[in-house]
Amino acid sequence: MSTPPFHLAWFTSFTAPAWRSTFGGDTGTEWMTGEYYVSMARQLERAGFDFMMFEDSTMVSEALGGTMEQDLKHSLHSPKLDPFPLLPILARATKHMGFIATGSTSFYSPYILARVMATMDHLTGGRVGWNIVTSSEDIAAQNYGMDALPPHDERYDIAEEFVQVVKALWDSWEPGAIVMNRETGHYADHTKVHRIDYRGKYHASRGPLNMPAGPQGHPVLCQAGGSPKGRDFAAKHANAIVATNPNVEKMAAYRADIRERAARHGRNPDDVKVLFHAAPIIAETTEEAHAAYQRVFGMDDPLQIEQTLAMTAAVTEIDFFQYDLDAPMPQDLKTNGHQSVLDDFMKRNEGKTLRESLGERLRLGPLLVGTVSEVADQMEDIVTRVGGDGFLIRAETGLSHTRRYIDEICSGLAPELRRRGLIRSDYPNDLFKQNLLQF
Amino acid sequence: MSANPFHLAWFGAGGFGVKSWNKTWSGRGGRDWASPQLWVDIAQALERARFDYIIIEDSSYVPDAYGSNSKAYLSSATATPKMDPTVLAPIMSHLTSRIGIVPTLSVTEYHPYMLARKINTLDHMSNGRTGWNIVTSSSHRAAQNYGKDLLEEHDLRYDIADEFFDVSCRLWESWDADAVTLDADHGVWADYEKVHTIDFEGKFFKVRGPLNAPQSPQGRPVFTQAGGSARGKQFAARTANSVISGVEGGPAAMKRFRDDIRAQATGYGRDPDDVKVLFMASPVVGETDEEAQAKRARQVAFAEAHPELGLLHLSRHSGIDFAQFPLDEPIPDTAKTNGHQQMLAQAIGKTPREFLRKSLSTMEFVGSPDTVAAKMEEVMAEVGGDGFLIANFDLNRRYVSEIADGLVPALQRRGLTRTEYTHSRFRDNLLEF
Ligand SMILES: Cc1cc2nc3c(=O)[nH]c(=O)nc-3n(C[C@H](O)[C@H](O)[C@H](O)COP(=O)(O)O)c2cc1C
Ligand SMILES: Cc1cc2nc3c(=O)[nH]c(=O)nc-3n(C[C@H](O)[C@H](O)[C@H](O)COP(=O)(O)O)c2cc1C
Repeated sequence: MSTPPFHLAWFTSFTAPAWRSTFGGDTGTEWMTGEYYVSMARQLERAGFDFMMFEDSTMVSEALGGTMEQDLKHSLHSPKLDPFPLLPILARATKHMGFIATGSTSFYSPYILARVMATMDHLTGGRVGWNIVTSSEDIAAQNYGMDALPPHDERYDIAEEFVQVVKALWDSWEPGAIVMNRETGHYADHTKVHRIDYRGKYHASRGPLNMPAGPQGHPVLCQAGGSPKGRDFAAKHANAIVATNPNVEKMAAYRADIRERAARHGRNPDDVKVLFHAAPIIAETTEEAHAAYQRVFGMDDPLQIEQTLAMTAAVTEIDFFQYDLDAPMPQDLKTNGHQSVLDDFMKRNEGKTLRESLGERLRLGPLLVGTVSEVADQMEDIVTRVGGDGFLIRAETGLSHTRRYIDEICSGLAPELRRRGLIRSDYPNDLFKQNLLQF
Repeated sequence: MSANPFHLAWFGAGGFGVKSWNKTWSGRGGRDWASPQLWVDIAQALERARFDYIIIEDSSYVPDAYGSNSKAYLSSATATPKMDPTVLAPIMSHLTSRIGIVPTLSVTEYHPYMLARKINTLDHMSNGRTGWNIVTSSSHRAAQNYGKDLLEEHDLRYDIADEFFDVSCRLWESWDADAVTLDADHGVWADYEKVHTIDFEGKFFKVRGPLNAPQSPQGRPVFTQAGGSARGKQFAARTANSVISGVEGGPAAMKRFRDDIRAQATGYGRDPDDVKVLFMASPVVGETDEEAQAKRARQVAFAEAHPELGLLHLSRHSGIDFAQFPLDEPIPDTAKTNGHQQMLAQAIGKTPREFLRKSLSTMEFVGSPDTVAAKMEEVMAEVGGDGFLIANFDLNRRYVSEIADGLVPALQRRGLTRTEYTHSRFRDNLLEF
């Protein structure tokens, strides 16, 4: 039996691509106009990607060494421009693909978020989504007047109310509220536009939204919960769930868990697509691919070691510089940041040295190395064992996010996947959500 | 008397919402309003005519002040629907190259970090052509959408605005201009010693910083502001690069307004020439003077036949239900508002109908392009500068073309408005003369 098709998406930030790579070109500053991402979006659409997702955070990290040096030196969490203004331009340069931007439930006001998303949904003809995050860095919270973030689980309680307000605002104009009766001079019928009068523990909003929802009604919701509370939230609301795991059995278990939770919330599990991070390394020959893999993930280059340490430190809020690179990975660290990321990092690398752990940490996803057809085989095998639903391609910022890498995926790998009937060959529907849920 | 060259800007009244939808030249305006195309066409036309900037007006609530429900507003698509200007602005700047794009954002609805970041992103993406129309909001209804019970009191809102402005500027300058080093040999993208926390702790806001992106081409965006009250003008004189004014009373009042703003700006240690005061105008232009006058007469007749359409605006801005006052009895001086003070002050003592008629007849520019250009020159010569903010509340492409391709060439022939952009950045062009 042939493998059913799966989805491809791309994960990135609105940041400086691999500026010091051999093929970095002028991207070190040029990216700020957005043009780099415009040409990227066109390529992804030609290749048959379902969506392009922009992650986000709003801090200059000091997690490593207590200063901003490492973050800025390696352009890790900063610089990062606001992804929302970029999306409308990307959508204008394309016709079918979806675009997802990240908005934090800890920092946005629900009314602004609901309005921005609905506006974008109109502008793009129904091709946007919102990646719901709760944020996990106190240093970001301090930019918004808080001393620290609320505790991890409470952040999801706040997010739950936030999403309820946002959905109610999107629903505050009934379908058909715009009547446009030239005779009576009625543009919209006020009896079909309703206040929401939401008063929760954390959020309040009177409503209605001052505009009708866009073509999708509710834009695509995306989430990446890793903890039990996060997974449950994701399974309740999201259409796309993005996750990171290098181990195929764990990928399968994660997906099964999400589907079960979705069913428990009364949803059809097929309405929730789980996509896993992947950073394929592809070359003309198998040997060249392995050499490239060693360059990217081998941890031979001191600058790269430093960069990876800084990256890990920033998500976990643990200063890894204080540990010996060649001693065994510590097993008892605690954080108010992404605890599940930290737990996973420790558990996965029990017995390994920190240096060894870093290569895999950087790779994030399963091992995918080889020629175009070898990598296509590997992906087909993984997706069969996991059960679906696809991959979230990620070229780690600062390493391989170049026009050349994007082209390897879009002009090399994707056409091969398409020949095998593994990814879409067209976009039969107008709306992003319809295409995402098509298979 | 001849006038010095002056500036032209456009006020996108009604914001990113329904423009003309049920009139002769509306086209598909009622249906296609959610597409950015009309705004793109306007921006390109105005760039062709060398306008300095275009403002996207905004507010974020469905009004229900008139008649105590939302019926009148939704029926007439007045002030609602209205979509988010920060989503529209990048498309407009992407498809133009010189004109300034100015979204409206409120200091009582945004947090400074989020606003500073959005504006910084827009300035990067537009290569230095972004502005911020600073407003404080004026309706409880908006505040209630953001979880508050009531909007802060009028003058307090400007205290908030002052602090908001200061925090934002600190964030925009939290990266030194030369912080991005791109030193490939040492793998240093940016020099952390040139990126600073701001550690701001004020009365209303507490922000650590730095911003998580480098200084944008302009550093700070161009600030436009429309304060009309004493406190509002004070704020505008301190912060704005361009003050936009709807002051009534003709050229003499305009001159007083401008002189006052300039004097206050000087008081803040600013060069008054760095504050361009632009006055709202809605020229009615026709092939001939007679045609323009006939068009104007039709507009006045329509407005007089539908006084409620005008009162909708007054109610929304003042928060007072003008449906309760008989059309032909004077508005009592006991009427109060926490909204637009200036507008209410101008209404008290007049009947609703008189007030509307008066606001219809402020500063009329009606005639052929040449006639209107001559009138504008006359007014500017008397006021002293700095230009006009064109607005039309029943906006369609035909009107835009009448201004951009009819009136502006007539102004340019008189040497009154720019024929080229000298600089690539918005602020440099605005402050050129
Ligand atoms: C693929 C992926 C993308 C993510 N994107 C973001 C992001 O853009 N911003 C953010 O603050 N967190 C992001 N996260 C973190 C998640 O929102 C979440 O907090 C994390 O997976 C830990 O799960 P938990 O919140 O349930 O503990 C991402 C996580 C994954 C796996
Ligand atoms: C030309 C012009 C444009 C304005 N644009 C907006 C706007 O987009 N959003 C808004 O809430 N208020 C807007 N206002 C209201 C002003 O910000 C201000 O509140 C009003 O002029 C009253 O002045 P005051 O606040 O000093 O009382 C505008 C006013 C004028 C004259």
